[in-house]
Parts: sequence; C-alpha cells; structure tokens
Amino acid sequence: MGRISFAIATPVNFPTIMTIEAEFTRVIQLFQLPFMQRALMGGVLTGAMGGLLGSFTILRQLSFFSDVLGHSALLGISIGLLLGFNPSWVLLPFSVIFALVVTYFLERTHLWTDALLNIIYSSSLAVGIILLSFRDKYQGGITHLLFGDILAVQTTDLIFSVVLLGVCAGFIGLTLRSQILLTLHEPMAIARGVSVSAQRTAFIVLLALVVGISIKAIGVLLISAFVVIPACAARLLSRKFTNYILISAGLGAVSAVIGMLLSALFDLPSGPSIVAVQLGIFLLTLLIPTARVLAP
Amino acid sequence: MNDPVLVVQGLTVYRGAHPAVQEVSFTVPAGTDTAIIGPNGAGKSTLIQAVLGILPRQAGQVSVLGHPLSAKGYLPAAVRQQIAYLPQNFLLDRRIPITVSELVGLGWDRVGPQLPWVGGRVRHQAVRAALTQVEAWRLRDQLVSSLSGGETKRVLLAYCLVRPRLLLILDEAPAGLDALGESEFYQLLHQLKREQGWAILQISHDLEMVRQSCDRVLCMNRTLLCQGAPDHALSPEQLSLAYGSDFVRYRHTCQLPHHHDY
Repeated sequence: MGRISFAIATPVNFPTIMTIEAEFTRVIQLFQLPFMQRALMGGVLTGAMGGLLGSFTILRQLSFFSDVLGHSALLGISIGLLLGFNPSWVLLPFSVIFALVVTYFLERTHLWTDALLNIIYSSSLAVGIILLSFRDKYQGGITHLLFGDILAVQTTDLIFSVVLLGVCAGFIGLTLRSQILLTLHEPMAIARGVSVSAQRTAFIVLLALVVGISIKAIGVLLISAFVVIPACAARLLSRKFTNYILISAGLGAVSAVIGMLLSALFDLPSGPSIVAVQLGIFLLTLLIPTARVLAP
Repeated sequence: MNDPVLVVQGLTVYRGAHPAVQEVSFTVPAGTDTAIIGPNGAGKSTLIQAVLGILPRQAGQVSVLGHPLSAKGYLPAAVRQQIAYLPQNFLLDRRIPITVSELVGLGWDRVGPQLPWVGGRVRHQAVRAALTQVEAWRLRDQLVSSLSGGETKRVLLAYCLVRPRLLLILDEAPAGLDALGESEFYQLLHQLKREQGWAILQISHDLEMVRQSCDRVLCMNRTLLCQGAPDHALSPEQLSLAYGSDFVRYRHTCQLPHHHDY
C-alpha cells in the first residue's frame, strides 16, 4: 500500500523520538528520491484530475457511477491477466468501453439508476474476483489492486497523467459554458444548440480514463474519493460555478501534497493518507459559514 | 403579414406507442405573440419540445428563420442564437453553485468551443444591461437557488434578452407564481416584447391574458383544433372542442356577472 519506511536508511516511526527538525530533514531527503518525486507528482496529477472532473460528476449525480467505474477496474485487470496482457494496458480501453456500455444501459432501461449501478458494481466485482482466482500467482496482489501503490508510479504513468490532465483541462475550459448549462438544465442546453449527447459521452470517456489511469496509484476502493471529496468540499466553499471548479481541482492537488508529506512524516500508507487529508479538508469546510467564504 | 419566424408543417410526435402531437401545422410571424392553449395532456409541451429539437419527431417539418430543423434536432448556431426557451419548471438543484450574473451570462454565450475568458467585458456589459432592464441588477451576486419565484422569472427573462433574439418560446413560464407575480411577469414580458420585437410562442392556461395580449391562438388537443385571432379561437364553440362543453358552461357561469362577451 505504499509505506515509505522501506526506502529510508534509518526508519523512525514516531516523530517524538527525534527532534522535529530531524524529522523534516528526513522528509526532505525522502522527497529527493526519484520514486518519491514520482509519487508526489502522480498524487498531485490524480488529485487535480479527480477534482476537476469531480466538480461536474457530483452535480450530475454521477458519484456512484465513478465508484462503479473504479470497482469495474478489477474486472478489467482480471481479463488482462487471463489473456496474458499487461493489466495497465488493458485497463484504459476496458474502462472506456465499460463506461460507455453502462451509460447505454442507464439510458435504455427504465430502472432506478442506483439500483442498476449496484447490479453492475457487485457483479463486475464478483466476476473480477472469480477470474483472478484462476491466476493464483498474480504478482501485484489483491491488496495493491484494492488500495493501489502510489510509490510504484513510473515515468510512463506520469506522462499519461500529464497528457490526460491537459486534455481534461482543455475540454472543460473550451466547453465550460456548455457544460454549465448542460448541468443546470438539459432541455435549455439543447434549445441553445448544445450537443448534449456528444458532450455527455466525451465527459464519461474522460472520467473513465481518469479512473482507469489512477487505479494503479490509488486503488479500486479509494479512487472515487479523489473524484467526490474535493468537489464536495469545494462546493461548500464556493458561490460561483467557475470558482467551484478551480477550487475543486486545487483541493485535489493540495490534498495529495499534504497527504504525501504526512505519509512520509508518520510512515503511513500514501493513498489512504491523501484520502484522509481530503476528508479532513471536507470536515473543515463544514465548519466555515459558506456565505462569508469566497463571496464574489 | 410579417415574414414567418417559425413554420411547422404536419408535425407528429410520439410519446411511447401513441401520438402526443398529430399533424400539427402553423406559422409564427415575426414580432407576433402566439399562444398555445388546450387541456392538460393535450401535447402542448411536447409540441414545443419537438419544435426546439429537444424531442424527436416522427413526421413533419420545422423551419426556424428559413432553416430546417434536422431530424436529429440540428439548427445552425447562428439560428439557435436567435431563439430563447424558458421551460415550464425551471427547477434548479439548490446545491448547484451559480450566481444570477453567471446564469444570465450563459444566455449571451455562443455555442461551441471557446476560451472561458473570451468576451469578458462585452459579456459583462450585456449581463448588466439585461439585469438592469428587468430591474434585477441588485440580485447579480446572489445564488440563483436563493431567489424567490418572481425573482427567478425576472432573471430568466434577463437570460433571454441578454442577446438580441427573434423568437422566444415559453412553456407556461409564469407557472408557480401567485396572481400578482403572474400579472407582473406578463406586464414585463409584453413590455420587453414591444421593445425587443420578439416573436413569442407561449403555452398558457390564462385565457384572459391570451385574449388581451396575444395576436394568435392555437387551440390543440393532440391535434390542432383551431387557430386564429383570439376572438375566434376563444369563442365558446372552439373552446368546447378542446376543453369540452362542461368547461365552457362553467366558464360562462363564472363570467356572467362581469358582462364578458361570451
């Protein structure tokens, strides 16, 4: 799960043993290691992407959808392993196809969205675990799938993440007004000429890619936190839609930095530390009177 | 007669296996106010949504400013800019963080990819002018979700007039307002119509307002039962076709003390 103590020469488990200064020196030294720099960068990119798309995801009530996408990754990885491919390469196309198929089902059936998503969520998890049982020598291990390993992020993963963040920012930036109108009132957006179906599909594809690319670092269980928590905290801090999006992306990135620092300082698992920081920020925002903060 | 802004020919729209709108044809000339009346379930909202391309149509043609609406609901962006639509219930999720000026600004934006900061100053001035015109500039920084029903309708009218338009389509726009709010809404709407030269196509259940303010009336119950000037379309004979004779008798009884003309 990405505990950092493996990488340091003199592991120390509690800061009270040493002076605070020595602890900080240790953390600084730690972040001079390439794998830690990659992990930090990976966390920031994942946090920013999750926050950016998460801002629209929660308003369109797709939070559970992103959770389902995360859990379905287990199925994608299992299929990749069974077919003898690198699971990382299978995961991205699988996530996109899976997301589009789920969207198709949601649009074509008249069942309740959460009920249908629950069926897909639990059944994809079940099938994924059954398929994994045929590969009892899976090196990655189920724990890494569930919780991710941000310390194992490679340069290739970072390049993918940078490109994807650029695409997400470009897409949201260039279609911002249409995205807002579509989120507010779909018929009004259609009347204005917004291509709702194309915009919605593009958003779902990007969300699937973000989830797919982040699984390795964050894991199946925690990925939806990166999408949902910063956006919810940003909502409590925002009155303007544009501020809300920027704050959401910013909180995602900042949470990753603080989470990684705390993880290094206290020798905690990195992914869960970042999520714990996101939760801490969210709880803090609950204490702030919304009207006074970031008022235009 | 002015050139038609909207031409609808033989429009048929299905809801499930049954036609909700059947073989409806009419035109809306420029600068005129056309009301669609009819009982609940008559297909009025379906008609409007098909005209806008929100719902698919099974047969017929729709043409806006001389441009045909494609089967998939496509109209050129320049034509879409000339249309404003206010839905029956603008129920905004209260959790969506959007201010009044942001909402009105969305009415100014053109559709298609653009940098978010494009048109900043011009856009701001247009938003200010529109909000001032509906006397809602003081609300500019308020969350839309915090507005009263009447304030929301004013802001939505500002959304319509933030850019010059030729066609305004309203689906029971004053729904949810009390009598005073409804009266104020219509007063503002008709004042703006005179100033802006809008052609209006609106669904209404307020037959007195229709009689006094509209140029033409379409009376429908799935199909078009009659169309024409208010005096003709709102005659007891025509109304009984759409609403039934009981409704007309009841209406007649209610209006006798006021010496109305039917």
